[in-house]
Amino acid sequence: MTVEATGAGQPAGPGAQEALLSVRDLRVRIAGKQGVAEVVNGLSYDVRAGETLAIVGESGSGKSISVLALLGLVPQPPARVSGEVHFGGQDLLTLDADRLRRVRGNDIAMVFQDPMTSLNPVLTIGRQLAEGMQAHLGLSEKDARARGVELLDLVGIPSARQRLDDYPHQFSGGMRQRVMIAIALACDPQVLIADEATTALDVTIQAQITELVAGLQRDLGMGVIWISHDLGVVAGIADRVLVMYAGRAVEEAVVDDLYVNPQHPYTRGLLGSIPVLGRPDDDLMSIPGRPPDPFHLPPGCAFWPRCAFRYDERCATESPPLRDIGAGHRVATFYDPDRPT
Amino acid sequence: MTGETLLETRGLRVHFPVRSSGVVRRTVGRVKAVDGVDLQVRRGETLGLVGESGCGKSTLGSALLRLVTPTGGQVVFDGNNVTTLRRSELRALRRRMAMVFQDPYASLNPRRSVGESIAEPLEIHRLHTGSQRRRARVGELMEMVGLDPDHRDRHPHEFSGGQRQRVGVARALAGEPDFIVCDEPIASLDVSIQAQVLNLLKRLQRELGLTYLFIAHDLSAVQHISNRIAVMYLGRIVETGDRTTVVEQPKHPYTKALLSAVPLPDPAAERRRERIILTGDVPDPISPPPGCAFWPRCPYRHDERCATEPPPLREVGPGHHVATFYDPDRPA
Amino acid sequence: MSVDRENTEPGTTGDARRSDDAGGPSAPAEPRWRETLGILLGNKLAVFSLLMLALLVVAALFGSLLAPYGPNEVAVENRLQGPSGAYWLGTDELGRDVLSRVVLGASVSLQVGFVAVGIALFAGVPLGLVAGYYGHLVDDAVMRSMDVLFAFPAILMAIAVLAILGPGTTNAMIAVGIVYTPIFARITRASVLTVREEVYVRAARASGASDLRILRLHVLPNVAAPIIVQTSVSLAFAILSEAALSFIGLGAQPPRPSWGRMLADGRGFIEQAWWIGFFPGLAIFLTVLSFNLLGDALRDALDPRQRSAIQSMGVTA
Repeated sequence: MTVEATGAGQPAGPGAQEALLSVRDLRVRIAGKQGVAEVVNGLSYDVRAGETLAIVGESGSGKSISVLALLGLVPQPPARVSGEVHFGGQDLLTLDADRLRRVRGNDIAMVFQDPMTSLNPVLTIGRQLAEGMQAHLGLSEKDARARGVELLDLVGIPSARQRLDDYPHQFSGGMRQRVMIAIALACDPQVLIADEATTALDVTIQAQITELVAGLQRDLGMGVIWISHDLGVVAGIADRVLVMYAGRAVEEAVVDDLYVNPQHPYTRGLLGSIPVLGRPDDDLMSIPGRPPDPFHLPPGCAFWPRCAFRYDERCATESPPLRDIGAGHRVATFYDPDRPT
Repeated sequence: MTGETLLETRGLRVHFPVRSSGVVRRTVGRVKAVDGVDLQVRRGETLGLVGESGCGKSTLGSALLRLVTPTGGQVVFDGNNVTTLRRSELRALRRRMAMVFQDPYASLNPRRSVGESIAEPLEIHRLHTGSQRRRARVGELMEMVGLDPDHRDRHPHEFSGGQRQRVGVARALAGEPDFIVCDEPIASLDVSIQAQVLNLLKRLQRELGLTYLFIAHDLSAVQHISNRIAVMYLGRIVETGDRTTVVEQPKHPYTKALLSAVPLPDPAAERRRERIILTGDVPDPISPPPGCAFWPRCPYRHDERCATEPPPLREVGPGHHVATFYDPDRPA
Repeated sequence: MSVDRENTEPGTTGDARRSDDAGGPSAPAEPRWRETLGILLGNKLAVFSLLMLALLVVAALFGSLLAPYGPNEVAVENRLQGPSGAYWLGTDELGRDVLSRVVLGASVSLQVGFVAVGIALFAGVPLGLVAGYYGHLVDDAVMRSMDVLFAFPAILMAIAVLAILGPGTTNAMIAVGIVYTPIFARITRASVLTVREEVYVRAARASGASDLRILRLHVLPNVAAPIIVQTSVSLAFAILSEAALSFIGLGAQPPRPSWGRMLADGRGFIEQAWWIGFFPGLAIFLTVLSFNLLGDALRDALDPRQRSAIQSMGVTA
């Protein structure tokens, strides 16, 4: 595997396939009373058909805002979005509102975290399912209904035909999330974005939903971006993982590689801090301090104040670039486990 | 971890009546949040109570401190029957039993400084009287949980979630309790902060000889901090045992399903594992099925009694109790 | 929040006593009341109201020093004169200086307003606290009584009370106070219903706090905001009510000057001497308007809208 000397631009990787979605140097800046916050700071990645990319980070990492920015859902002002998002031969960030609307829900669909608030409580499920289909595909009401039943079946809701006329409050949390997924799939999207889609669910329901999405991806060949803070869930559903910290990608790798061979001190700290079922006597590493205020990012490496290693003088002053270390594994750190202190 | 039993519940029930609306309110149903729970917690140990939403674990925790009134059964703390105590005796008891709450944003009065919140138990029980001594004690408590005493006059909104949770822990420690109920203390925190708080709780237990009831839905965290684990489903305890036994040799079908659903941060293991995927939803405690509460979702169900008789909690190994008719050795 | 002083040591595994997450707030945030005051003063209408009210208070307190003439200084030879150099707002039918009477009438209006609202606060808020906190029978008993009071139109109610007690300033205060008690009870109760479910109230109970302590330290401070807003609004209405009562002769009795009375007297002279009724009316209008505007401004200022730019986008990133 050739090691390319890459800058922030090209993700190297074993990608024989064309990328469905290509994000290049995405930046989101928000102007507030305290100054300007770099909430997303130069993010680049690809998503291919049939592949799940997991974006992992904690609060303040910018993971959710980055996908909202993709779809033009971040109000500008007070934010400013820059960079390129290539999809279907177009740069989404240059599209006007109308054209972007045709992409949203149609070619790229999104499922949000809280099924309680993402569904309109005064409309039936049938209406909410039909909405996208009628708007994007121009289906008649009758056809939209028929397809609605198909979709509810697809996501495993029993008695689909009757449930089409039920209201959101008549469904449980897990069922509502299935409905959200059905709505997302209504127009056969090429890319599905799931933003903490199972965080609010019980563990047994979470397992149902992740199985469902995995199955649907296999059958429909979608690309999936799965955003989560839960490294356990990610291990089970991702093909590739991208770790974000303070608005930047700090590590990206094939899933096995990330868990077995994490390179970035933050990734290592994160992995070391989660309790693992079956290994109760392991000590939990805790990363001291807390994520930085996006309005006052430290100069140099954003993780430096909390880093357990920090032996390179550059850490405090230079922001380490994302570099390729082979086999599709990229990391942004000066830390080298092989080099002695 | 041996020690005498510090806290025990016998047949504890907490039922909430559901009233119809209107001028004359009739009781139209009951939510059986806790439906006959026998539990023992030994001095110095951590009992992990795990279950999904609606299982009643938080209600159980509140009932131990009589923050909700038990409808039936008993709670016995260090020989005292908590359920029958008078108001004044209950106040004294509330010094020895404390609670750490889930939501660090909601559990502190936004109008009071953190120092005042921490000092509240001291004021209520008249401990460390005199402003000097009280200040000193608050400072001590803050140091114990890893906070800077100089920040005592700041208000909750100036702190992060993890720090606020530490304030909650300091407040719980103020009265020098023997027993602390931790009700989902890490669920609302970021992953890297969860480890900090877990480590803090463990250290405090060692140093102060505390006894914990650790209520959570995250089985990995529960196993990490607990000595013994109790699994709850729809108001009833379905399995208890020491932490290794419950995780490695679960006997109850729900425990097995729960364990198989817990995500592991190990991609290879995740690919290998065989998941028991349950059908249907987490049930509603307002109308539990007759017989075994888990029966409608159970993947095994091979005993006729399941649908009609609630299985009793019986011992299947040293310190290992299960409430099920399911027997893997017996053919379906 | 740049590099925190305490995190300059190499990070630790396990939990360190102080260095993890323990930096604490980076800089002291502004105290809440100062932030509220800042928002208030930024609102131009609020500033106008405050100035008006300051003027009013000065008139009420120092009226006798400021007024050029006595309120009952009769000078029949100068009666019904329009605004002039000697009498800035003109004279009434008895030759009394309208300006002086308006200035001195302020004292009556404010007195009745503040005392009446004071009575309503001290009666209504505790009732609302108790009703909201304990619920069930207590709630029903208290709130149904409040409903009965509420059912009467305010003026009729006040008149009824004054019919029993007799007219006069003091009795007017009591009457208006009774009339405005239910609104405070309701507003307090509504807030209490929310606050009593808050986790910090449960936490206080878990620590062993008595109900009284909880009401005093946890509930009351957190229901204060809507009560403050209502106080301002009720002051406006109380003053208006006083004016109405005086208009029909039940409020402050002559010779005490009161705006309502002056309005009533001015009615007969609208054609010849409009200034007799106009200026007291204007005074009532400006006062009521100012209290209302202040109430609105307070509502905005006390609203917990201290969100950062990022939070207001509805994402926690």
